[in-house]
Amino acid sequence: MLDLNRAVALALLAFSSGYAYLAFTYHLLPFEYFLPVRPNTLPLALAVGGIICSLALLIKQSTPENDIKGDGTVNRADGEYLKNPQNYNWIQGIVLLVLATFYALGLRSLGFLFCTFAFLTLGGILLGERRYTLLISISFTASILVWYLVDHVLTIFLRPWPAWFY
Amino acid sequence: MFDGMLLGLETAFTLQNMLFAALGCFIGTIIGMLPGLGPMSVVAIMIPVSLQIGDPSTTLILLAGVYYGAIFGGSTSSILINAPGEAAVVATAFDGYPMARKGQAGKALTIAAISSFSGGTIGVVLLMIFAPALANFAILFWSAEYFALVLVGLSAISAFAGKGKVLKALMMTLLGLMLATVGESSLFHAPRFTLGIMDLQSGINFVTLAMGLFAVPEAFFLAIDKIRGEKSSSKKSQEISNLRINREEAKAILPVIARQSVQGFLIGVLPGTGATIASFLGYAVERNLASPEEREEFGKGSIKGLAAPETANNAASTGSFVPLLTLGIPGSGTTAVLLGAFIALNLQPGPQLMQDRPEVFWSIIMSMYFGNIVLLVLNLPLVPYIARLLAIPRSFLIPFVLFFAMAGAYIGQNNATELLLLLGFGVLAIIFRFADYPLPPLLIGFVLGQMFEDNLGRAMRNANGIQFIWERPMTLMLIISAAIFILVPLIRDWLTIKRK
Repeated sequence: MLDLNRAVALALLAFSSGYAYLAFTYHLLPFEYFLPVRPNTLPLALAVGGIICSLALLIKQSTPENDIKGDGTVNRADGEYLKNPQNYNWIQGIVLLVLATFYALGLRSLGFLFCTFAFLTLGGILLGERRYTLLISISFTASILVWYLVDHVLTIFLRPWPAWFY
Repeated sequence: MFDGMLLGLETAFTLQNMLFAALGCFIGTIIGMLPGLGPMSVVAIMIPVSLQIGDPSTTLILLAGVYYGAIFGGSTSSILINAPGEAAVVATAFDGYPMARKGQAGKALTIAAISSFSGGTIGVVLLMIFAPALANFAILFWSAEYFALVLVGLSAISAFAGKGKVLKALMMTLLGLMLATVGESSLFHAPRFTLGIMDLQSGINFVTLAMGLFAVPEAFFLAIDKIRGEKSSSKKSQEISNLRINREEAKAILPVIARQSVQGFLIGVLPGTGATIASFLGYAVERNLASPEEREEFGKGSIKGLAAPETANNAASTGSFVPLLTLGIPGSGTTAVLLGAFIALNLQPGPQLMQDRPEVFWSIIMSMYFGNIVLLVLNLPLVPYIARLLAIPRSFLIPFVLFFAMAGAYIGQNNATELLLLLGFGVLAIIFRFADYPLPPLLIGFVLGQMFEDNLGRAMRNANGIQFIWERPMTLMLIISAAIFILVPLIRDWLTIKRK
């Protein structure tokens, strides 16, 4: 059966094979054929190593190596989350990542200040914060403070406003 | 030499220079905490401001303080939020973050501060005594030796290969090495494996990968697991901010600090290696020297595992001043930026500097003593307050962790594609963590990958083959050491599993 371990090993095998194909078909310049080390020498070696390793992982019998100490702080293998998925709030984690993706997509067009403020506020609400005044004021202050520090103090340009504003 | 030292003391310990050294340390620590702004960027940003001072000694004292401060600041974000914004502090996160998760953030930051102080101070003593002699030692190292040294640095992966994870750790290292080949290399100049994507021409950005691998999964797991998220925020702030190190712990880290100060300094002296290799090497060596019980703790919150890279990277930063001051060769990216400052000040670092401008040469060295003391005095009282950041409620902490990780990758690049890449790496890292694949080896492979290929390529070109391995005794010795460092722990772990 294809468990997660094997699925990841299979994906790594596909990645290593694709990398090997690109390394093998790499267009060498005429003089590079006579070099002791070519641009694709190390990549080919790495690809072979990757294929062997991922094949071994695929074939190897899956053994759970969870080292759970039960205090919920450290040494808790993350695979444990998949064993009892009902105990965890998956929606929050996934929506947080979606929110981060929107932040990445909107940063250039909507500007740093608005995007950061919206991300911090919506992220806080998503994670259960209901003290709206506190949340909004912290998000607002943090957005302005980071922008001012980076743009004015460190003189690294950060577009503050939406693109259409200019 | 003593006349020079006295002159340096006189110059460095004027009120003005002491104030600027303290200011440099403070600015460096604060800015260095932001992921993505490593010592090199912080020093570069500060050059135009510092040149306004006019006096060369004061300018360079300020910049040296910024350099030290930024390295320490970087380790704070590594320990508290698992966001190593600079390659030299990646190894700090391996044990520093697990300690913070156990509620020992205050202790972890204290150990980091003391280790940094000791590494930096012992480094300065060595710099003062051995600088001219070490400059000759550094030029004995050729690309063959550098390649072998990178191999020894790669042996740090064995710390994450225990309990049947050997293959997984190896696979992750190979993956890191593969990712390091994306884009242009200094050896070949033509871009590789970019799939026609313009943003990959200059390769994958370190901060993007590091934040994706460490900070994004951490935010995700804190979000889905309310108990875990609340544990980190509800630990009594008294417990989190407790700085106390007991006698046994002090006894345990003392030899680590002594060894890594010397080793880190020697690695730092070699041009092109710097604090990154020193920290990985320090971690690998100390793990191998630890007792079997202590070894088990590495990667899970070992105080030795935290003290080793923190001491080594600070000692190496001091060591990197040797080739800069005595030969005029920048030993690292940051000292290359500092070389620019020397030139802007009409100073030519090199053998003549000690003779022509002894007050500049010795005042920089003397101010390093002072800078280290300032860092300790400045940071230790702040540790309880910095550590309490972890007591912030999860609804504030998690979005801020994610925001700082993304801001680190975006600042300076101004490229939103970096953020999408970061999130992509983050999702992959989450899947890898579910399948119990260790992520540090991937980052170790990536960080050392470019140096690995460049030096191997140069060594093979010089020797027209691989005979340099047995023709150069130091290379052979280092390669054998790397093999021992990698194989012995693996065989030992394998035998333990077999016996059980």
